[in-house]
Amino acid sequence: MPLTGTRDLSSLAGDAPLMPALDTEPITLEGVEVLQVMEEIDDAAITSLLPPALHPTIPPTLTAVFWRVRLSPWGPFELAQVRIGCRAGARPRALLLRAFCNSEPAAEALARGWGLPVVSGDVRMRHYYDRVVGRVVAAGKLVLEAQLVDPEAISGADIQYIANLNLARLERNGTVQLRLVQFDPEYVFHKAERGRPELGAFDAAAWNVPDAVPDWPISASYALCDIELPQIRYLVDPAKPPLQAVERLAHV
Amino acid sequence: MKFGLFFEISVPRPWGPDTEYRVYQNCLEQVRLADELGFDQVWAVEHHFLEEYSHCSAPELFLTACAMQTKHIRVGHGIVVCVPQFNHPIRVAERAAVLDILSGGRLEFGTGRSATWTELGGFQADPDETKKTWDEYVRVIPKMWTQERFGYRGRAFSMPKRAVLPKPYQKPHPPMWVAVTSPGTELDAAERGLGSLGLTFGGFAEQEQRIAEYRRRIRSCEPVGEFVNEQVNTVNFLFCHEDREYAIRTGQRLAGTFNYLAEQLLTARQAYPTRSYPSLGLLPALRREATSAPEGQVPEGLCIGDPDRIVDVIKKWESVGVDRINFLLNAIETIPQEEVLASLRLFAREVMPKFGVRPPAAAVEVS
Repeated sequence: MPLTGTRDLSSLAGDAPLMPALDTEPITLEGVEVLQVMEEIDDAAITSLLPPALHPTIPPTLTAVFWRVRLSPWGPFELAQVRIGCRAGARPRALLLRAFCNSEPAAEALARGWGLPVVSGDVRMRHYYDRVVGRVVAAGKLVLEAQLVDPEAISGADIQYIANLNLARLERNGTVQLRLVQFDPEYVFHKAERGRPELGAFDAAAWNVPDAVPDWPISASYALCDIELPQIRYLVDPAKPPLQAVERLAHV
Repeated sequence: MKFGLFFEISVPRPWGPDTEYRVYQNCLEQVRLADELGFDQVWAVEHHFLEEYSHCSAPELFLTACAMQTKHIRVGHGIVVCVPQFNHPIRVAERAAVLDILSGGRLEFGTGRSATWTELGGFQADPDETKKTWDEYVRVIPKMWTQERFGYRGRAFSMPKRAVLPKPYQKPHPPMWVAVTSPGTELDAAERGLGSLGLTFGGFAEQEQRIAEYRRRIRSCEPVGEFVNEQVNTVNFLFCHEDREYAIRTGQRLAGTFNYLAEQLLTARQAYPTRSYPSLGLLPALRREATSAPEGQVPEGLCIGDPDRIVDVIKKWESVGVDRINFLLNAIETIPQEEVLASLRLFAREVMPKFGVRPPAAAVEVS
C-alpha cells in the first residue's frame, strides 16, 4: 500500500490554534486575489513531513498560497500559507502547519473558526503586469518570496485548488485533541492567470516544515475570486492510520 | 462480445529483489491461461514513475513476451503515449510494426497522452501540448506504416523522406484505438475513425448515451488510417467465484485497492492549470464507480460475483453497445494468483459460452 507519513505532530501542538467549537458558520469573502506557486520538493522528506494519517503525493509537493482580501468582517488582510501535498485516504489534500497574516483580527478569526495555524507576519501580495509577487517577512526575516512571472490569461475552470488540512487543537468532551481540520473553501472565479513559477526565499523552518527542500518548479496561478469559507465537516486524527483517521462530523 | 485482459502491472511494497519479477511472471501466467481459455486480447498500459500503481513502462516488451508465449490472443498497446518527450513517432511506428510481425499480426494499437503530473513532469512534457501531439501522431503513424517512404513537415516533429521499417504484418495496418477517459474523447475517436478504448466504467445509462453518439459520428468520419475501426472497448474488474458473497467481498477488495492506489496519483490538473485536462480523467471515475453502491453490494456495471450475476452484467453491457470488455484481474497482488487463475477458468467455463466464446475443452478440464 502507499507510503505513509512518519512525523509526530504532537511536538507542534503549541503552534496549533485552539478551536472552542466546530460550528463555524460559512462566510463569503468577495474579490479575493489568490496567488499559488507549486514546487516539487526533495524526496528525502517524502514521509518525514507528514503524520501517519496521510500519504505523500508522488512526487512530494509544496504549495505557497497567498490571499489578498480587501473586504472581510475583520477588515482587509493578507494571508500566506505553505502546504505539503498529501492524500487523506483517497482524497487529495494539503497539510498546513503554519500560516502568516498581517491582520490580528483576521488571524484570530481564521484560527478560531477554521483552525488555521496562523501567526502575525508582514504579508504582501501584489499583482503587476509582468508578475505577481508574494512576500512574507517574519521577525525581520524574509521567510518566503514566491512569484508568478509573465502572466497569461486562462479560465478559472482551469485551476483546481486542493483543500487544506489545518493543524489545530479542539476542545471536545472536556479534553483538548490535536486534529487536522479539513478546510475546503468554495471558489467562484472572475479572472485567472498562470505563468512561470519562481520560488525565491524559502525558510522551511519558519513554516514548520524543516525538511522541505524545493527542487523543481511546477506551476503558478493567480485568480480573482469569491471564496466561501466553509462549514467544518471532517477531521483527521493525525496519529491514526489513513483508513481509520477520518472523522465525519455529526452535523454533516 | 469479446473478452480480454487489461494490465497496469501494479507492484506491492515492500519491493524485494524479486517482487517485480514475480508480478510480471504472474501476469504472463494469466495471459497464457487466458489464451488457452479463448480470451481474445491482452492490453498493457504505458505508465512511468507511478510507484506501486503501475510498473508497466515498457509495454511493447511485455506484449512481445505475451505474444511469444501464446498462440491466438491479440496484444494491445493500451496505450502508447503520443508525446514526443515520451516516444518519438518514428520509434512508435517501428516498435509497433515489429511487435505486429513477431506476434503474427496480432497487434491492436492504442494511443493516448498521459494524465499525471508525475509522468508529464518527469519527462518535462508540456501539458498544453499533449492533445495536439496525440492528434498529429495518429495522423502520421499509419502513413509511416503504409507509405514506402514517408516525409513530413509538422508541428511536433518533421523528417525528410525515409523508409520507416519494418512495415506491420497486418495489412494495411493494425487496428487503431484511442484511450477514452474524459467525456468527449469518444467523439475524438469517432471523428478520426478510431476504436474507443474506454478506460472508465461509468453506469450503463451514461455509457449507452456516449456509445450511441460515438456510433452516430463515426459514420461520417474522416479516418486517420486506411480503415475505420468502429469498436467500443471497455475496462472492468473481474472476480468470478461460485460463492457470490465471497466473490463480492474479494472483488470489492480488488476494486477498492485499485482505486485507492489510483487516487494517490498526482493528476495533471491538480498540479498544472491547463485547459488541456478539463477533467481528472480515469482516476476519480474509477473510484466513484467502484464505491457508488451500498455496503455489501456491487456497483451495477462491475463483473464481480458468481457466474450468473456476471452474465447478467455483461448482457447489459452488450445491450448498450459495448463490443469488448477487458478485465483488470489484480491490484498489488491483493488476490492470490491461484484465485485469479481459478476466477479466469470459471469465467471461461460458465460465462464466456453464453456469449458465443467456446474455450478449448482441454483448458476447461484443467480447473
